[in-house]
Amino acid sequence: MIEADRLCKTFLVHRKRPGLWGSIRSLVRRERMEKRAVRDVSFRVEEGEIVGLVGANGAGKTTIVKMLAGVIHPTSGEARVLGFRPWERDNRFRRQIALIMGQKAQLWWDLPAADCFLLLKEIFRIPEDLYRERLDYLSGVLDVREELHIQLRRLSLGERMKMELIAALLHGPRVVYLDEPTIGLDLTSQRAIRDFILGYREEHRPAMILTSHYMEDIERLCRRILILREGELVFDGSLAQVVERYADHKIVTAHLRGQNGPVTAGELAPFGHVDHCDASMIRLRVPRGRVAEAAAELLRRYPIADLAIEEVEVGAIIERIQRAKGATRAP
Amino acid sequence: MIRYLRLYGYFLRFSFSRAMEFRLDFFFRIVMDAVWYVVQFSFFWVLYRHTALLGGWTFDQVMVFMGGVFVVDALHMTVFSNNMWWFPIYVNKGDLDYHLVRPVSPLFVMSVRDFAANSFVNLLMAVAVLTWTLARYPAPLGAGPVAVYVVSLLVGTFLYYVLHMLFLIPAFWMHTSHGLREIYFVLGETMTRPVGIFTGWVRSVLVSILPFGVIVSFPAKSLFEGASPGPLLHMAAVTAAAFLAMVGMWRWGLRSYVSASS
Repeated sequence: MIEADRLCKTFLVHRKRPGLWGSIRSLVRRERMEKRAVRDVSFRVEEGEIVGLVGANGAGKTTIVKMLAGVIHPTSGEARVLGFRPWERDNRFRRQIALIMGQKAQLWWDLPAADCFLLLKEIFRIPEDLYRERLDYLSGVLDVREELHIQLRRLSLGERMKMELIAALLHGPRVVYLDEPTIGLDLTSQRAIRDFILGYREEHRPAMILTSHYMEDIERLCRRILILREGELVFDGSLAQVVERYADHKIVTAHLRGQNGPVTAGELAPFGHVDHCDASMIRLRVPRGRVAEAAAELLRRYPIADLAIEEVEVGAIIERIQRAKGATRAP
Repeated sequence: MIRYLRLYGYFLRFSFSRAMEFRLDFFFRIVMDAVWYVVQFSFFWVLYRHTALLGGWTFDQVMVFMGGVFVVDALHMTVFSNNMWWFPIYVNKGDLDYHLVRPVSPLFVMSVRDFAANSFVNLLMAVAVLTWTLARYPAPLGAGPVAVYVVSLLVGTFLYYVLHMLFLIPAFWMHTSHGLREIYFVLGETMTRPVGIFTGWVRSVLVSILPFGVIVSFPAKSLFEGASPGPLLHMAAVTAAAFLAMVGMWRWGLRSYVSASS
């Protein structure tokens, strides 16, 4: 449904030195520089898939979404969404996609959402009965029926986001781009939005691309993630694969019972890297292949009340990948 | 076409419901425009105390001309002006994004989505002033020529909008168009004077490259000079050319649109 092939986007930006003198200088002589926001990015997204685009600020996530939604043209490369080149903006293409940006509102601030939806019904030529059915379904699932006739500016951020979701999905898009849909929302609203997206995916099977800085969004919604670093795609695979590939160890935590004196880092060193050790607790980073052996040895040597073996947090791994330079590349 | 009319119906409805919230604004706009009308009329009244003809126009002709100027200006203010104000801001802040992913002409939406309902009373006032200037004209004008005058004023309004857009679309590359907008407003002032008062190359420019001199002067000229279709044909040609230039520039601009980072 979505195919990106060596997509590139370069922006021309001008550099201005600080202060008044810098402003005067830039008026006469402008220093321009090329900023390569997206570099040779290729991937595919299939029907019913939610793919998470992950990366630090400026990694190119939103730029990719905007190219695939047809908002901006790529500098080079090719993309097909539902068989169309997005930036040609064919109406048949635009009738089948939706773009939701958590940082930008698409509805009229001074009007009730119900009025805005009527306009969208006309724009997308949604038949009356289908429109009523979808509005009823979406407003019911998102629990905002009572708020439909209240001016948007009088709604909470969470309620407004729900209205934005309804606005984007009223026409039943087959491809949905979600650019930070939970940004700024409280935990309850974040959870509600996530549950809704999962339910919607199950029922309607659109292809979805999600960008978010919240790892909980990614972990909960996406089976597959694309990690971007400075415009380059450095990983394309499942969350489990990220852990397998980039976390060569597991975390072993043991709570001790009645230990005589503190455990020393030296005696634990053969098991792996010691993160913490005292009379009551040990935390180690143990290589994957030696976890069972290390756990058995710890149980044998120390009076252990509780032992936990955990994967490294996906968020921490991703953060490390994003920071690393030239270490990884998409398979 | 019918779909676009229906969409425009929604824009009107929304704009009126929003405007109802700002009642004081209605009042101030009416006062502001009334003052502007008086100043404009007074300007010519003073001039004609010293001369009987100005660029070949009599005082009564200029009154009808000014009635046309007020109608074109009020129509522009009501239908297009708010949208023109917001357009460069939309481009600069990336708020155009949503309009590009919907299956409807973004140029249409960006041009007319915000109907200045609070200027609507001013439009009625301008129509009343035009009617008055036509009624007080000392010679019979005839219903046909007056109807042609009114229709050509509508074409003039469209040309005025197209010219405005041509000065705003560079925002796609410049990311702001304050400077160009100011130039547009200064040049727009030439629309409020009969083009006959200009001479030489200035006049040539005002009826061709920057056709502000065509917008009201040519309809008025056609009204007073009678049968010759020349001015109106010229106006139609200039309007069509400007419209094509605007559409071409718009498409080119969209190719260069970079949105804004989130």
